[in-house]
Amino acid sequence: MTETKRTVKLDARGEICPYPMMKATEAIEHAQEGDVIEVLTDHPPALITIPNAAVKLGWDVAIQRVASAEWKLVLTKSRA
Amino acid sequence: VAQAQLGLSFQPRQLALGGLGIALALAVFFTVQNQPEWSTVWVFGLAFGFVLQRARFCFASAFRDLFLLGETRVMKGVLVGMAVAAPGFALAMYMANPVILPGRFPADANIQPLGFHTFFAGFIFAIGMTLAGGCSSGTLYRIGEGYAASVVTMLGILAGTWLLGQTWSFWWDVSVSYAPRIWFPQYVGWGGGLLVTLLMIGLAFLALLWWESRTPVHFPHWTEATEEAPIGFTGQLRALLTKVFLNAWPIAIAGATLGILNAFFTVYHHPWGVTGAIYQWVTSLSGLIGIAPGELKGLADLGGACNIGSETHDQAFGISHDSMINMGMILGSFIAAALAGEFKLRFPRQLRRYVQSLGGGVLMGYGASLALGCTLGAFFSAIPSLGLNGWGFGVGLLGGAYVGVKFIRHIG
Repeated sequence: MTETKRTVKLDARGEICPYPMMKATEAIEHAQEGDVIEVLTDHPPALITIPNAAVKLGWDVAIQRVASAEWKLVLTKSRA
Repeated sequence: VAQAQLGLSFQPRQLALGGLGIALALAVFFTVQNQPEWSTVWVFGLAFGFVLQRARFCFASAFRDLFLLGETRVMKGVLVGMAVAAPGFALAMYMANPVILPGRFPADANIQPLGFHTFFAGFIFAIGMTLAGGCSSGTLYRIGEGYAASVVTMLGILAGTWLLGQTWSFWWDVSVSYAPRIWFPQYVGWGGGLLVTLLMIGLAFLALLWWESRTPVHFPHWTEATEEAPIGFTGQLRALLTKVFLNAWPIAIAGATLGILNAFFTVYHHPWGVTGAIYQWVTSLSGLIGIAPGELKGLADLGGACNIGSETHDQAFGISHDSMINMGMILGSFIAAALAGEFKLRFPRQLRRYVQSLGGGVLMGYGASLALGCTLGAFFSAIPSLGLNGWGFGVGLLGGAYVGVKFIRHIG
């Protein structure tokens, strides 16, 4: 069985609180099987709120800083 | 247990920016040293702003997330802060004047009249802060982080404050003039007043636990993917610097720190708040074009904490020393953000965000002036003042946050 891996890119830079988290949650809820979601944000609180929301919905989070005050959160569905 | 790897690292260019910020803070400190109190108030402002930024401590988040996410994390931090501050406030008020007389209230405590206007003010303030994505202190600290939307919000706050100044007489007549000031020590003494306040905070904490338990699905909280343990003195030092200047502060530690700072500030001066200075800015700015609100009816008799329109005699450089708190908060937050590599000039891409920020700010300015304080002056500093008014404003805030969440979901 092959899984089509699709990367959903969400650019939430410039968004005010709490839209980075709200948009990320929306993306998770509409995600299809095998999707990977990449969220770009420059909103520091989102580095806490997005993982919190993602974990609640059963997803894993990996964060990398991609620019001075910008981060990319890579969300993948947990295998557990 | 779920794990998340955090992308945190010191950014050299931003560290340099932070250094500039520190230099500016020191320059201001030495410039105002000749004015009594000013340099100390400045340091407090810097400290408040620094901690707010490090912890992303925001009252808007505290109230809003209860309804948006069923989450109580930030609100718990707020309660911790108020519980820590309360004994300090009680001590400060007691030391200022230990005698409790009916009808007389400590001059430098936030015991505001509690009436319909309090609930209404909290209600519209919370709608505003939810729309704008930050309360008044949140707006100040986000300006320091580089959020252009927060500058727009501040313009809205100034406008809303001016509007209240123009319509104050109405509110005085229909509500404030006969609203009682309910201060616990008058009924149960100093110890009793403190105990009642702490018990109410405890009950609020239990209510939060119950609120959390209503969420049907509850995954364990994630932890940071651990790196190797630090070795050697430099390793330990680096780990410590990372915890303080890079990682987000745990919310309870931030709350407790803010509570302690607030208590010290109250002992030194008066409870922490930003609304008084904002009202002064509005009076000065609108006065330039001849539309300043007149003296606010009735407030002169209510004492310092309630008279947001009072003429401050402690003026220098064209501003009052209350302004040093607000401006210190902006710079303190800037320094914290730069050191953490989180400073960035951020511009929302959708017009609706600017409208939200402005409209939210107007509601906040109006509500905060009506309640004679915002989430700081009428809540975070009011509850530790051992009065009932802070709780009343809090109830209004809850209602407004509930409605505000519906709005931000609808706007999308």
